[in-house]
Amino acid sequence: MLACLCTVLWHLPAVPALNRTGDPGPGPSIQKTYDLTRYLEHQLRSLAGTYLNYLGPPFNEPDFNPPRLGADTLPRATVNLEVWRSLNDKLRLTQNYEAYSHLLCYLRGLNRQAATAELRHSLAHFCTSLQGLLGSIAGVMATLGYPLPQPLPGTEPTWTPGPAHSDFLQKMDDFWLLKELQTWLWRSAKDFNRLKKKMQPPAAAVTLHLEAHGF
Amino acid sequence: MSVLQTWLVQALFIFLITGSIGVLLDPCGRINPESPVVQLGSNFTAVCVLKERCMDYFHVNANFIVWKMGHFTIPKEQYTIINRTAASVTLTDVTSLNIQLTCNILTFGQIEQNVYGITLISGLPPEKPKNLNCIVNEGKKMMCYWDPGRETYLETNFTLKSEWATEKFADCKTKRDTPTSCTVDYSPVYFVNMEVWVEAANALGKVTSDHINFDPVDKVKPNTPRNLSVSNSEELSSILKLTWINSNIKNVIRLKYDIQYRTKGASTWSQIPPEDTASTRSSFTVQDLKPFTEYVFRIRCMKEDGKGFWSDWSEEASGITYEDRPSNTPSFWYKIDPSHSHGHRSVQLMWKTLPPFEANGKILGYEVTLTRWKSRLQNYTVNDTKLTVNLTNDRYIVTLTARNAVGRSDASVLTIPACDFQGYLAESKCYLITVTPVYADGPGSPVSIKAYLKQAPPSKGPTVRTKKVGKNEAVLEWDQLPVDVQNGFIRNYTIFYRTNIGNETAVNVDSSHTEYTLSSLTSDTLYMVRMAAYTDEGGKDGPEFTFTTPKFAQGEIEAIVVPVCLAFLLTTLLGVLFCFNKRDLIKKHIWPNVPDPSKSHIAQWSPHTPPRHNFNPKDQMYSDGNFTDVSVVEIEANDKKSFPEDLKSLELFKKEKVSTEGHSSGIGGSSCMSSSRPSISSSDENESAQNTSSTVQYSTVVHSGYRHQVPSVQVFSRSESTQPLLDSEERPEDLQLVDNVDGGDGILPRQQYFKQNCSQQETSPDISHFERSNQVSSVNEEDFVRLKQQISGIPQSCGSGQMKMFQEVSAADAFGPDTEGQGERFKTAGMEAVLDEGMPKSYLPQTVRQGGYMPQ
Repeated sequence: MLACLCTVLWHLPAVPALNRTGDPGPGPSIQKTYDLTRYLEHQLRSLAGTYLNYLGPPFNEPDFNPPRLGADTLPRATVNLEVWRSLNDKLRLTQNYEAYSHLLCYLRGLNRQAATAELRHSLAHFCTSLQGLLGSIAGVMATLGYPLPQPLPGTEPTWTPGPAHSDFLQKMDDFWLLKELQTWLWRSAKDFNRLKKKMQPPAAAVTLHLEAHGF
Repeated sequence: MSVLQTWLVQALFIFLITGSIGVLLDPCGRINPESPVVQLGSNFTAVCVLKERCMDYFHVNANFIVWKMGHFTIPKEQYTIINRTAASVTLTDVTSLNIQLTCNILTFGQIEQNVYGITLISGLPPEKPKNLNCIVNEGKKMMCYWDPGRETYLETNFTLKSEWATEKFADCKTKRDTPTSCTVDYSPVYFVNMEVWVEAANALGKVTSDHINFDPVDKVKPNTPRNLSVSNSEELSSILKLTWINSNIKNVIRLKYDIQYRTKGASTWSQIPPEDTASTRSSFTVQDLKPFTEYVFRIRCMKEDGKGFWSDWSEEASGITYEDRPSNTPSFWYKIDPSHSHGHRSVQLMWKTLPPFEANGKILGYEVTLTRWKSRLQNYTVNDTKLTVNLTNDRYIVTLTARNAVGRSDASVLTIPACDFQGYLAESKCYLITVTPVYADGPGSPVSIKAYLKQAPPSKGPTVRTKKVGKNEAVLEWDQLPVDVQNGFIRNYTIFYRTNIGNETAVNVDSSHTEYTLSSLTSDTLYMVRMAAYTDEGGKDGPEFTFTTPKFAQGEIEAIVVPVCLAFLLTTLLGVLFCFNKRDLIKKHIWPNVPDPSKSHIAQWSPHTPPRHNFNPKDQMYSDGNFTDVSVVEIEANDKKSFPEDLKSLELFKKEKVSTEGHSSGIGGSSCMSSSRPSISSSDENESAQNTSSTVQYSTVVHSGYRHQVPSVQVFSRSESTQPLLDSEERPEDLQLVDNVDGGDGILPRQQYFKQNCSQQETSPDISHFERSNQVSSVNEEDFVRLKQQISGIPQSCGSGQMKMFQEVSAADAFGPDTEGQGERFKTAGMEAVLDEGMPKSYLPQTVRQGGYMPQ
C-alpha cells in the first residue's frame, strides 16, 4: 500500500490534468454564456410583459393560449428528450447559434414596428444583448475548434410585414416570436449547464486513474 | 494687448500702402507656414517670401527682411537668406505658448514696414492616457474615465472606443468640460466581455491608451438598497432587525453588503463583520447592542465577489433597542436627623438616579425595604430619590431597587447602625474598612481597605501539590490560604524541596502566585516538597508532598519507537522489492531448477510448466533449457521437413480426432524444443533460438489441435499422471498455452501472455470508467440540487405577470396542437433534462458514454 502511495506521489507531477497552467480552456466562457442566457431570460420577462401589453388584449391576458399558426419559420426550441440528450457538443452549439441568428433577425423586425420610444429602446437593448449572446456562443465554438455555421445564401430570414397578414395574425406572430425566444433561452440555459459540467473533469477520477497506474 | 494694438496699427498701415498701390488686401509677402503648431522646446523655422511687386516698389530684397517676435526684433544671426526674395528665421527652444511672429522690411530711411504676421502656437503632444476604468451605474449607461496625463496646452480630443470580439460600438467623444471621462450612449450587455480604450489626439500627435478587457457586470455600481427600516425585539433587548429592499440587480448578480451603525450622537461608525453579510439578503439582525439605546444604521451593497463598485450609502435609519432591567443599583446613603425624640429617630434615605446606560429603560420607581433586627419588613414604593422614615434606635438594614418596565435592579443594601453602636476589634482578624464620602447631593463612591489590628503568623501552612510532573521539572500549585487562617497579610511563600538523600533547597515565591515550576530536577527521582506562608509576624509550614519524576519525558518513547519502526518497515520493504526485482537471479543461485529424472517422461512436464511461469516466456524457456541435451539432430530434421507434410499431419489430426500421429508430432515438437534449448549457450542467442523454433511448424499442428479442443485433450490423456490433465481441463487458457509450448513455438506463448495482459488492460480501464462514472454521478448530484433550484426558479418567477402563460404553455400544449404529443414529451423532456443532470445513477451507462465523449 505504501509502495502504491509512493508510486502515486511519484507520478503526480506527470499528470497533465493536475498541472494546469495558463490556458483556462472553454470553461469560463461557457459559464459566462450560461450566465448570459439567464440574464437575457430575465430581461425578456419584463420586455415581453411590456410588449404584450402594447399588443393589447387578448395577447396580454394571462390565460391566452393560441395555436401556433404561421410561426413555422421560427426555429423550434422543443425537442425530444432523447434527441436532446444525444446531441454532441458541436451540434448543440450549432443549433443554438443558428436559432439565435434567426430569432435576432425577426426581433429586429419587431423593433421597427414598436410604437413607443421606451419599448423601442428596450427592444434595441435586448437585440444588442442577443447579439452578445451570439458572439458568446461563437466564442465558445471557436475555443472548442468548431466552425461557425454558414448561413445558406437566400435562406436569410427576413421579417415580412406582408399585406397577406391581418393585424391580428401579425400580432400572433409577434406573440409566438417572444414565446419561442423564451423557450430557447430556457433550453440554452440547460444546454450550457450541460456543457459546463462536461468541461470540468471531476478531479476524483484523476486520482482513481492514478491509483490504477500505481498498481 | 499693446502688442496686438501695434500689430493692428501695422496691419492698417500695410492696408493703406497696399491700398495706395491699388491692390486691396494683398500683402507684400507671405510667411510659410501660416498657422504653425510646434512642440514646446523644439526649434521652428519660418520663411518669409517677398513679392516682386513690393520689392520693386520699396527697392528691397530678402536682405532687408527683419523678423520680429512681438516688439522684440530677432537678431540677424538667426536669419538665413535663401534667395533674393526669401529669408528664413529659426527660433530655437520655443518656450512661449503663443508667439506673434512678423516679417518686416527695412525700407528707405530705416522705416520698418510690416509684410506679414503669423501666430505661432506651441504645446505638447498628448501623453498616453493611463488608469482607464469604467463604471456601470445600475440602470444607466456605462461611463469610463482615465488619467489624461500632462497638460498639452493645445486642444486635445479624447475618443473612447469600445468593441466586442464580434462587433464595434460607436465612438464616445468627450465633451469639452469633461475631458477625462465619457459616457457611452448604449446600455452595456452583462456577461459579454468588451474591450475599451481611449485615443487622445491633438495637432501634435495621437496616442492610444492600453486596452482593457472586462465584463460590464464586473464594473457595476448597484443602486442603493431602499427603504431601510429598523425594528426592535421585545424578547431580546440587545438586537435590532434591519430590513431593506434590494435593487433589481439582485436578479442578475449576487450581492454582498456593508452595514454600519453608531449610537445616536456618536461620530464614528461601527462595522458589521463583512463575512456576516457576504450574500444576497434583505434583512439582517444586529446583535450585541446596548438596551434602550438609539442606534443609527446605513447600508450599501456591491457584487458578491468584490468586483465592481460599492453602491452609495443608503439613507440613515434609526431604531431603539428594547428596555432591559437596570444593570446597576443606585448609589444609596442615609442621613440621621440629630434632633431625635425619645426612642425614635428620623432618618432620611437618599439615592442617585441611574445613568441611562445603567437604567436600561425608563425608571418607573424605586422600592425601599426596611428590616429591623428579627422583625418584619416594611416596604415603600417611591418615585422620588429620597425617603424620610422614623426608626427606633435599633439597627436597620435598608435595601433599594430601581424598577423599569422590564424588571428591577439588584438590591443596594445599607446598614443603619443602632444608636449605641460601639466597636470591638479583635487581633489577627481581617477587617474591611469602607469609607464613603457624603456630599451635599448624596454619597460618592466608597473606598475600602483591608486591615488587621495586629498580625500573627498563619495558623496553617499552604498545601502544595503537583499539577504536572515532567522528566526534569514539576509544576507545583497551591490554594490561597483562607482568610480566617491567614492571621495577617501573606507576604510571600517559601517552597522547600529535597530528594531522599540530598540537601533541601528553598525557593521564595511572591504571595500573588499560586503556581510555581521547579526546574532542573533529576529524572526518576523521589522528591519531597513542602511550603511555608509568611506574614509580617512569621511563617507556618504546610504538609509535605512527595512525587517522583518519570524516567522518560512525555512522547520520548514514541519519538524513538516510531522512527525505528518506520525505518525497519522501509528496510523490509526495500528488501522485498529488491528480492522481487532480482528474483530470477536469486532463484538461479539458491534453488536452480533441477529436473527430476523420475519424471522424465516428455509428455508430462508440458502441462505443468506454463501456469507456473506464465509471467514470462523467457523464464519458461530458461527452465526448459535445463532439460537434457537430446536430439539436436532431430530438430534439424524437423526443420527440414516440408510444409505440406505438416499440413498432412494436421489433416490427419483433424480426421482422426484421436491420433497417435498427431500426438507423436506433439512429442516431436517438444523433443525438438528441448533439443533446441541446450544449443543456446548464451542469452543473446535466445532471440535467434526463438526465431528458429518459430519456424518449426509443429506449433501450427498443435494449435489447430487446440482449436478442435478434443484432440488436444486426447493428446494429454496419455500422460501418466491425471492431475495435469484435470488442471488443464479446468483452465483452458493454460491448456492453450501448453499446446503452444508443446508445438515448440516460442512466440505464441508470448502472444498469449500479451493477450492476457491486454485483456487486463481492457478490464481495468472499464473499472476505472465505472468508478469514474460514480464520481461523476456524485458531482452531478451536487450540481443537481443547485440546478434544480435555478431551473425551478424560472417557472416560478415567470408565473407572475404576463409571462405566466408561457409557463403554462410550455408545460402543456405550448407547442401547438399539431405537436401535442411532442409537447407532452417536451414537458417530460424539460423535467427530465433536469433530472438527467441530477440523477445520472439511473443513466449510468450513458454517463460512461459521456465520459467517452470527453476527448472530443
